[in-house]
Amino acid sequence: MRTLLTLYRKEIRAFFLSPFGWVVLAFVAIMQGISLSTSMKALGDAPIRESLVYITFHTPNFWFYFLFIFPLITMRLFAEEERTGTLETLLTAPVRTWQLVSSKFLAAFSFYLLLWIPALVHFQLFGTLTDIAAPFTLGSLLGAAVIIALMGFFFTAVGCLASAMTSSQIIAGILTIGLLVIHYFLGYVPVIWGESFRASGIFHYLSCQEHLQFFTKGLIDSRPIVYYSTMAIFTLFLTHLVVDFRRWKQ
Amino acid sequence: MIHVDHLTKRFGRHAAVEEISFDVGSGEVVGFLGPNGAGKTTTLRMLTGYLPPSAGAASVAGFDIFRQSLQARRRIGYLPESVPLYRDMRVREYLTFRARIKGLTGSVLNRRIEEVIDQCGLQAVRRKMIKTLSKGFRQRTGLADALVQDPELLILDEPTNGLDPNQIRAIRHLIKRLGEKHTILISTHILSEVEMLCDKIIIIDAGRIKAADTPSNLVSQMRAAGRITLELKGPADDAARALDGLDQVRKVSHDLSHDGWEHFSVLVESGADERARIAQLCRDRDWPLRSIYRHEATLEDVFVELTRKD
Ligand SMILES: Nc1ncnc2c1ncn2[C@@H]1O[C@H](COP(=O)(O)OP(=O)(O)OP(=O)(O)O)[C@@H](O)[C@H]1O
Ligand SMILES: [Mg+2]
Repeated sequence: MRTLLTLYRKEIRAFFLSPFGWVVLAFVAIMQGISLSTSMKALGDAPIRESLVYITFHTPNFWFYFLFIFPLITMRLFAEEERTGTLETLLTAPVRTWQLVSSKFLAAFSFYLLLWIPALVHFQLFGTLTDIAAPFTLGSLLGAAVIIALMGFFFTAVGCLASAMTSSQIIAGILTIGLLVIHYFLGYVPVIWGESFRASGIFHYLSCQEHLQFFTKGLIDSRPIVYYSTMAIFTLFLTHLVVDFRRWKQ
Repeated sequence: MIHVDHLTKRFGRHAAVEEISFDVGSGEVVGFLGPNGAGKTTTLRMLTGYLPPSAGAASVAGFDIFRQSLQARRRIGYLPESVPLYRDMRVREYLTFRARIKGLTGSVLNRRIEEVIDQCGLQAVRRKMIKTLSKGFRQRTGLADALVQDPELLILDEPTNGLDPNQIRAIRHLIKRLGEKHTILISTHILSEVEMLCDKIIIIDAGRIKAADTPSNLVSQMRAAGRITLELKGPADDAARALDGLDQVRKVSHDLSHDGWEHFSVLVESGADERARIAQLCRDRDWPLRSIYRHEATLEDVFVELTRKD
């Protein structure tokens, strides 16, 4: 446990001691700000049935910046250690592979959660600054928080896996964004091909845009919760195998 | 302390290490020598659990490096060849991180860190960022990391690589001192270092062990011919012919004439010492003999002889 904590602290520090972490934080905060102002303008222009939270998470730029967060925060994790050789010092120290993998994953995931603090502040400030009761319910905010955390849980794990597979950060990043974009478009399959084929249920099941839609309306469904958590744990298990593979007898 | 049994490592079809077996006893300081690409680093990486062996087995302090890797790793302090460090950490912070993941805590942790900073001469740079350090100081930081948990076994891959002469001496002293209580396996290309430090030498070439013995045994068993140099006064051609006529002499070469003194080098059969007979020859012919010297075989001769390609 103490080893895990030591490793975790080192990873977290790496986010904040390099300018890179702050650049990502600024990039995401700006994108969230743009989302908010776009949706406020939409609310001002015409009457809309949905809440502010819902519209903010459905602006055109949302998926664009959302999917890009993951390669940015995870590509460094294993690839850099592999390239600079520090992985050799880590793997020859009395550290278990799962401690290494979980410390890196948890650090990236914590940093990811931190990225959403500006958005939370935005929603809080809305009421304070405009003197109008913010047009959303606590349920939709809570739903948004849950789905953002869930998707982040899985997608960060995908980034860890990609980073463990290569010693090049660029390749890890491209692999991550590629996998996430493919996953995203799987959700569009029923939209493109219609509902008539039998497997369309599966695509609804893993459609992240539908999940986001329901959760930001405040409809918390247990199926995505199961889906994202099991997929995340499975992906982390794969990452563990990839890192441990170098220790296997060939 | 280390037991290696038919250890093999293949990279694709190329065998970097082939069926090597050796033992390192507790408290021994063993030098691991070999030309570039011989498989030294690969062997050390297998012992430290970084690379899995393709075949064979090895154990450290009784723990199998493959099946009981964690227990084995606890007992090893390892300095990798390329000395990988985190560029964005400060020296003391890095050592603290390393000491923590090696299981040190509290006052022991602080005491050990201060000790290794002292031992490796890092006081001046303890607060510096690692990326701003020179090569030698990085090397010392890596060494301090290997030492920090006071391991039973030290595995050092070219520890004096890139150090200045003063520091090489300091590190050598340190290793010598550590060798009194620790087991050390050290890979290096500096032969004088090996002669000074090591109780035993393992020479490896193209993945196979060529020799494993004490330095003095290796040198005395050297099959290479001995060389004698001498200076005499007399007719150069006659002298060369006369020397060549001696029993055990293989080859005579006339190096130079200087102030009427003729300098010769004489290659004799291994184990033979012809000095007395050469002196007798000069007395018989009335050639004044000013100096005669037999060159001892060095570890370098042994190394070259064992790993020569032809
Ligand atoms: N990861 C790898 N993949 C493929 N071949 C490798 C790998 N690592 C080492 N080799 C090969 O194994 C052989 C032994 O290399 P090794 O690094 O052990 O040599 P060395 O004795 O340490 O040499 P040096 O004195 O130059 O450090 C070399 O032929 C090298 O090319
Ligand atoms: Mg080497």
